[in-house]
Amino acid sequence: MLLGIDVGGTHTDAVLVGDDGILKSFKTRTDHDNLLGSVTTALAQVTDGIDVKKITNINLSTTLSTNAIVENKLEKTGLFISSGPGIDPGNFTMGDFFFVVPGSIDHRGTETQKIDMKAVKNGLDRCRENGVKVYASVSKFSTRNRDHEEQMAGAAEGQADFVTSGYSLSSSLSFPRRVATAYYNSAVWRIYNSFTDAVVKGITQIGINAPVNILKADGGTMPVAVSRAIPVESILSGPAASIMGIIALCSIDRDSVILDIGGTTTDIAIFASGAPLIEREGIKLGGSPTLVRSLQNRSIGIGGDSVIRVSDGRVTVGPERKGPCMADGGDQPAFLDALNFTGTADFGDTARSADGIKQLAASEKIKPELLAQQALEYAVTAIRRAVDAMLAEINSKPVYTIHEMIEGKKIVPEKLYIIGGPARAVAKAMTGALEITVPEHFEVANAIGAALARTTFETELFTDTGKGVMTMPNLGIEERVDRRYSVEDAKHDALIHMAEFMKKSGYDSSVKPELVEVSAFRIISDYGSSGCDIRVRCQVRPGLIKNLHARGKGGTK
Amino acid sequence: MIRAEKSLGLIFFPAYDWAISPTHPEREERLLYTQDQLREEGIFDIEGITEFKPDIATEEDVMRLHFCFPDVASVTTESHMISAGGALRAARAVMEGEVKSAFALVRPPGHHSMKCVHGNRGFCNINNEAIMVEYIREKYGKRKIAIVDTDCHHGDGTQDIYWHDPDVLFISLHQDGRTLYPGSGHLRELGGPNARGKTINIPLPPNTSEEGFIYTIDSMVLPILEHFKPEVIVNSAGQDNHYTDPITNMNFTAHGYALLNEKLSPHIAVLEGGYSVQGALPYVNLGIVLAMAGIDYSHVKEPDYDTNYSPQDDDITEYIEKLREPVLANYFSPKPDTDRPATGQYYTRYKNIYYDTDGIQESQTEHVMMCNDCRGVIMIESSSSVNPPCAGIEIPVFGCKRCQAEGYRMLKEAVASKNFLTVQFTDRVNKIYERHNSR
Repeated sequence: MLLGIDVGGTHTDAVLVGDDGILKSFKTRTDHDNLLGSVTTALAQVTDGIDVKKITNINLSTTLSTNAIVENKLEKTGLFISSGPGIDPGNFTMGDFFFVVPGSIDHRGTETQKIDMKAVKNGLDRCRENGVKVYASVSKFSTRNRDHEEQMAGAAEGQADFVTSGYSLSSSLSFPRRVATAYYNSAVWRIYNSFTDAVVKGITQIGINAPVNILKADGGTMPVAVSRAIPVESILSGPAASIMGIIALCSIDRDSVILDIGGTTTDIAIFASGAPLIEREGIKLGGSPTLVRSLQNRSIGIGGDSVIRVSDGRVTVGPERKGPCMADGGDQPAFLDALNFTGTADFGDTARSADGIKQLAASEKIKPELLAQQALEYAVTAIRRAVDAMLAEINSKPVYTIHEMIEGKKIVPEKLYIIGGPARAVAKAMTGALEITVPEHFEVANAIGAALARTTFETELFTDTGKGVMTMPNLGIEERVDRRYSVEDAKHDALIHMAEFMKKSGYDSSVKPELVEVSAFRIISDYGSSGCDIRVRCQVRPGLIKNLHARGKGGTK
Repeated sequence: MIRAEKSLGLIFFPAYDWAISPTHPEREERLLYTQDQLREEGIFDIEGITEFKPDIATEEDVMRLHFCFPDVASVTTESHMISAGGALRAARAVMEGEVKSAFALVRPPGHHSMKCVHGNRGFCNINNEAIMVEYIREKYGKRKIAIVDTDCHHGDGTQDIYWHDPDVLFISLHQDGRTLYPGSGHLRELGGPNARGKTINIPLPPNTSEEGFIYTIDSMVLPILEHFKPEVIVNSAGQDNHYTDPITNMNFTAHGYALLNEKLSPHIAVLEGGYSVQGALPYVNLGIVLAMAGIDYSHVKEPDYDTNYSPQDDDITEYIEKLREPVLANYFSPKPDTDRPATGQYYTRYKNIYYDTDGIQESQTEHVMMCNDCRGVIMIESSSSVNPPCAGIEIPVFGCKRCQAEGYRMLKEAVASKNFLTVQFTDRVNKIYERHNSR
């Protein structure tokens, strides 16, 4: 049996999936002041009367780190950066203990200015005086050469409970993202770990003896032990869990659009030939772009609780939410009330919905039927536009080779999948060229996705044979290589090192890494070859331990 | 997060799968470290900086400007069409108000490509900026355009293309032709009889430094631009004046390039040369991007600046100061062309052109109508070591009635003569771009 728990912004869901599909599911409102309570309640309810020894895997998706960052409940963190030439590093200030240290590493990973350890020490002294216990050390181009980050991190030993070094988070370039990601990682480290301790304890107490994994924003999982050093990877996993849930419920093999209509927002995801798209850089949180990999996902302010307004005879929906819709006990008519009124939905107290729509219509001197109809049209049009904009953006994504420029594939969706409370109602209104599916069990798709998500991982191997160095930054690997080191060697090493690292760290070792990008450039200096620049990116892509297609098939068309 | 004071479009096309030859300076990884630097700096996350995918230029886009012999497909590859398309996308982004200015970081370059094209010269096949300028004129109705070429090599291709065009002001700053390829770009080259003073060459001595370049911009380029009042300013942004460039002898810096760009404030910049792949390009491009976006670039500095850059020698300063007077005179009071025939007559020019990259030798006879109502219909007869005689006839943009009629008359005559392998006919007034193969 596989157990999945998703502690979301509004609801906490849990499901237990067995060989024959969903065995049990549970839904409750998330208690934001006691997330642990939400987890333990869900855990207790969904395992009630179940032989917990048969649970073979637990996956947990939680908003804990996300909330801490968004609400700025962050531990004071000493952030040390060495930037070298470029954009004024003052722009990247985060928190009250931010130190720019002289020192520079260039794009090939060559040290061009030694790190000023005296400046590091001065900063550390100030941190110590102020009781700062967690640190982040980030240098520009640390994915090519981690010396400066290690020197700064090493200096904090003794006074630090935890230090994040930028290179350990991702192999991707982007100094500002590395700074933000490392800062957040350290700033949520303590709260995340104490929460995780409690969750793991709770799981053990019920008698479950199965591996625990944490959901990530890319729709994959990481072992709980791994997550302890990279808690930032747990942010914004909720939308990804829903997307993985849809993959579990429906057999998607074509270009498709996925809509998840919630209370406040509609989340849009695009699938290319049945596979979810991954954001090229990383996800944005608290206004800062990060290096945390995520599934591509856009959110617009149209949901069941989005308030209906009339101004100058024009009916609009959202983007604000003024409490729940009237059918759910609110006091202002919202999108779902309009759906109830037109008869496309049948949710909660439909009489209250009708009252709300009629009242608003009367005060604006229009027919209630017209009001409800226009609200519906407005919302559907807004969703359509957002989908079109997202598609246009994906299809005009820049590419860097002639081959991709000429052969590049365009995404043309053929199918539309809708989940979330008002899914069936919106499906009726979204008439158009696309074939629409509303899968069964969609109300717990997020928890299903959580339960069935598989491990993901990504890394990049970077070799400069001129310098004789091969690195895989987020694996912590740095090796000497000779000038004969070839692309084939690099491909081989990347896959082997990645598989070994995953096995050692407790990842599901049955999944196979694949190569994503391979490039090799001869580096010419003064008209002579000075080696080869080889880059190999590999990953374990998002996927499922198993799917529920036999049962989830069909749905409503 | 950082916000751009002036919105900027970036068209980045490094063509990672294209090179002239494996060890040629114009090879695959030319923009690799530039991309690494821009990504590492987080340039593409800056609010107000938008990356656009290049368009692919069409045959019509090329024929609007060039005479390609025997045809467009024979002298271009996909990479050239994408590189030119990058410039077109930059123009579109600015003309349609998506952004205030745009920078096309594309390769291969184009500024050595002349009006007639038989192959590759100076690493260039088709002229990206000029194709873009003609696109802007045709699609957006602009007329007066200034191209400032800051590549270290004389922009002889662009000069050739606009030699007879009084509406396009071409200013080239470059290392003196007596010391560097292509050997041209002297003070006395100042435009054809219909466009005297609209080609301005500023040949700078080797080792010109920040000081000299900025002086040239302040005291020569800007006063001329101010007087010409162009609707659009284009920068041919070559980066080979850098002190680390392997194939030139100048002494310019990343900070200097940024400052130059800030002063020039072009609507569109298009990358040209620049072959110091590691030591210069990452920093120069970063500096230009920041300057164009109105973001502080004072922290952009080459790692070896303090050891390898040296300020300008006094004799160089003195030399450049002496250039000011003749340069300004070339624009403000150009000497009339004493060879100019009477209005309504043809002016004829003979040219021999060597294509260094492809080893092609071309001979041209160019006839231009001396016209007071437009820039004059043009016919070029061209033969080369790879092509028998070919011809190109162009009725210019904003061409007058007489020159239109002349164009059609010449076309008829040229086709009937069967003297030419192919005749390219360009009627810019009626937007007709066609080819007549006589054999």
